[in-house]
Amino acid sequence: MTASTVEVSVRQAIATALASVSANVYSYVPETPITPAVCLIPDSPYFEITTIGRSTIDFKVNLVITAMVSYSSNPAALDNLEKLIVSILAAIPAGYELSTVERPSVTQVGASNLLVADIRVSTYYTQTN
Amino acid sequence: MATTVVTGRDLTLTIASTNYDAQATSATLSNEHTIETYQTLDGRAYKAIDDNWTFTVELLSDWGATSSLCEAMWAAAESSPNSTLAVSLTAATGAVFAFNVLPIFPSAGGTAPGAQTQTWTFQVVGTPTETFS
Repeated sequence: MTASTVEVSVRQAIATALASVSANVYSYVPETPITPAVCLIPDSPYFEITTIGRSTIDFKVNLVITAMVSYSSNPAALDNLEKLIVSILAAIPAGYELSTVERPSVTQVGASNLLVADIRVSTYYTQTN
Repeated sequence: MATTVVTGRDLTLTIASTNYDAQATSATLSNEHTIETYQTLDGRAYKAIDDNWTFTVELLSDWGATSSLCEAMWAAAESSPNSTLAVSLTAATGAVFAFNVLPIFPSAGGTAPGAQTQTWTFQVVGTPTETFS
């Protein structure tokens, strides 16, 4: 049996679940995201050991789902971002803890301005093999 | 002597022969030692009269999972509430605590955004057997 990985069991799994969202989904940090975009990045702390014992490797994985929309008109961008966040929340699969959605901020990527908000999620990962 | 640190990760938890390390976030065996105090003409006198052991486990709910601890505990509490379950708590440094507990019903449900968790406080039957290596 192939050993499990965080990439396949957690990051790709949530990226697949978010495929229904009307945005480009990245399970890594892209150099030039095409908006609207959803980007999955590690939070800090990334892994938290939450269980006792050493017979299994089992930990909590903290992730940030960054929602990005084009920022040209402020009210429209905020509306688009809110709609994107709601669709992401609806698409997050079972077994994920949702904590908070951070305050939107303007981020410059290359020549374009993006309105960005972070959604903090966590899940539990157990290593097999 | 050299300092020895034993952490929660150095524990192994076994209930009814099944290892539940992957679900348990905390496991603590504790004792309430009852000592009576007498005021005598010679001063205070003390006498240990009783011991009550409890075992507290905090864990992630695992309803519906394969080999679910919550389901096993529910079934045990429902079908055999007066039959004890064997528990073993082993530290990596070699100490082993073996004891018996009475099953209890798990709770169900949780807080909206977070993981569903359980806190179980078991009544230990008798006195734990310790093996210090």
